[in-house]
Amino acid sequence: MLKHLNVMPTEPKRVVVIGTNGFVGSSISRELKNNGINTFGVDRTMVDLLDTSASARLKSYLADGDSVVFVSAIAPAKNTVQFFDNIKMAKNSIDALSEFHLSHFVYLSSDAVYADDANPVIEESPLAPTTLHGMMHAARELMFRTEIDAPFATLRPTLIYGARDPHSGYGPNRFRRQAVSNGEIPLFGEGEEKRDHVAVEDVARLIARIVVNRSTGALNAATGHAVSFYDIATLVAENFKSNVSVVKQPRTGPRPHLLHRFFNITGCYRAFPDFQFESLADGLKRVHLELGL
Amino acid sequence: MALPKIAYVGMTHLGICSAIGAASKGFSVLCFDQDQQLVQRLFQGKFPVDEPELDSLFSKNKQLLEFSSDPAALRQCDLIYVAPDVATDDFGNSDLTKLDGLANLALDHATPETTVVVLSQVSPGFTRSKARTGRALFYQVETLIFGRAIERVLLPERFIIGCEDPSGELPPAFKCFLDAFGCPVLKMRYESAEFAKISINCCLVASITVANTLAELCENIGADWSEIAPSLKLDKRIGEHSYLSPGLGIAGGNLERDLATVLKLSSEYGSEASVIRSFIKNSGHRRDWVLRELHQSVLNQRSGVNIGVLGLTYKENTNSIKNSASIELINHLDSCSIRVFDPVLPASVVAKANVIGVPSPLDAANDSDAFVIMTPWSVFKDIDLDQLSKRMRGRLVLDPFRVLDSRDAKMHGLDWRSLGAR
Repeated sequence: MLKHLNVMPTEPKRVVVIGTNGFVGSSISRELKNNGINTFGVDRTMVDLLDTSASARLKSYLADGDSVVFVSAIAPAKNTVQFFDNIKMAKNSIDALSEFHLSHFVYLSSDAVYADDANPVIEESPLAPTTLHGMMHAARELMFRTEIDAPFATLRPTLIYGARDPHSGYGPNRFRRQAVSNGEIPLFGEGEEKRDHVAVEDVARLIARIVVNRSTGALNAATGHAVSFYDIATLVAENFKSNVSVVKQPRTGPRPHLLHRFFNITGCYRAFPDFQFESLADGLKRVHLELGL
Repeated sequence: MALPKIAYVGMTHLGICSAIGAASKGFSVLCFDQDQQLVQRLFQGKFPVDEPELDSLFSKNKQLLEFSSDPAALRQCDLIYVAPDVATDDFGNSDLTKLDGLANLALDHATPETTVVVLSQVSPGFTRSKARTGRALFYQVETLIFGRAIERVLLPERFIIGCEDPSGELPPAFKCFLDAFGCPVLKMRYESAEFAKISINCCLVASITVANTLAELCENIGADWSEIAPSLKLDKRIGEHSYLSPGLGIAGGNLERDLATVLKLSSEYGSEASVIRSFIKNSGHRRDWVLRELHQSVLNQRSGVNIGVLGLTYKENTNSIKNSASIELINHLDSCSIRVFDPVLPASVVAKANVIGVPSPLDAANDSDAFVIMTPWSVFKDIDLDQLSKRMRGRLVLDPFRVLDSRDAKMHGLDWRSLGAR
């Protein structure tokens, strides 16, 4: 649950977004700038967080009083090397960040920190990751919260979609690309797994709200509506003028441990009573148009 | 023997209702509180609590009631109940400071022959900590229900009495008083009685949680919990009085306090009590049902939303707002304009700029995008659905306790929704 330290939303002196060029980071920087917030982006060309010079270089971009949004990650962390690289990036960042009196620190985490059977997930659900990616985010949350002496907030998004998403994981982005190249969207089994998908723009808007309210605590970024992959594929297919078929295929392996994921987003309603999520149908339609399809 | 004179020490809900109940059984009763102004108001029949029959029983038995803030008056009594309600914080933790002080006061001022009984809600071990050599001290479980307190005082199912020696006889004055109610008296050691009270409440919460858990599923699978619950009540293993109505979580403070006590004891002794945490989690989940419905159906679609709210108290027939789901809801609707009506409380109890009080239930519906019945006061059953439909701007009616007739509401074109069915 989030608590707002600012009585009224207040523009921070400066927000430093670490990882500003990624899919999510770029959306966050854009949203902050669109809100007239003094935003400074740090990307890999400026600081390679895995390099031995990382701490010194990052320090050169920071100042007392900054609010920091930390987005940078090798995601998803699929193996031990990537897991430790992510931890090293956090460690090098902490070496620099801990030398400044920051106004606020916001960490972009993931809903992978929760147990597979945590339905309906709330912010108070125990952190019990079952993947290296989830464990990485849980560990980094703890590292930053422990080591940085500033009000701490973490946003834990569920599956994110958007026009600029470079990933091709099972879901809307891959479905769209498959529809473009093959005219069909293959599903695992019946596509019955239900998941919540959130637009990257909504994630960015939530970060902006957390920043101006100087919020502390945890918030999940999820719409509260879980939709089956079959229904998602159907929504994606319906956006094409040409005929795109959704094809159910026999599973070659067992069904995933995480079959369905639901969120109870009362925490968001309480933190930001007037925040409105874009519906998945509207969001997929918008992304389709943005891509000029 | 002559009827004993009975004192109640601590004039809050428990003490007031118990004292007037004792007087209505024909006993002379001293109502004691250290607050002189409160004593004066009580003498005039001005009560800080709202309970059915309280005023009429007071008027009928006024000649048997004395009021005092002088502890010396306790020396005239044969039986002294120490009965302040125990305040709790937001997490259900008890503050026993007042009870502790009043228990000491009673023991200090009572004669050696007087029996002292702790009636307040305590944790196991409290009564034994007050025991003094040669002093008859007991603990008695109270099972009052807000809104039905007088009924519960006059018609108890049983008395549960905590004793230093459960095999011994009860003092004559105490026995005489308990016998007047004609129900079983169960004697047990102090700690058993203290924990019996907590156990009763845990069982009630278990029933509520089961009902809420299954009712929520009914909302998704096409079943109707209101059809199912009566069939469960006819099962003798469950019982006709079992708490099987879905609701907006537990409230009022007493149940929350006992859950907190069990968690505290479990933490202290290392026992497994995750089910209690689940009760609390489920309660919070159901409490927010209205907030989620409003967001998903109205607030996520437009701004400048008007909402009509009926009921502020945590349940009907009381003026208590402790952990009220209605207050909790209103506190998280800052972006809306809210018109509220409650039969016993003014809107000022929420003290928010976006909330105004209205003189009647239907006035709360004026221009509303959604209409919410947060407390099932019986007076709300009389709402003219034709008028309700005409006065509302939107169609959504959230009626978690099924105060309105669902078929009738739908016939009037309202999008009526409740717990336990869709």
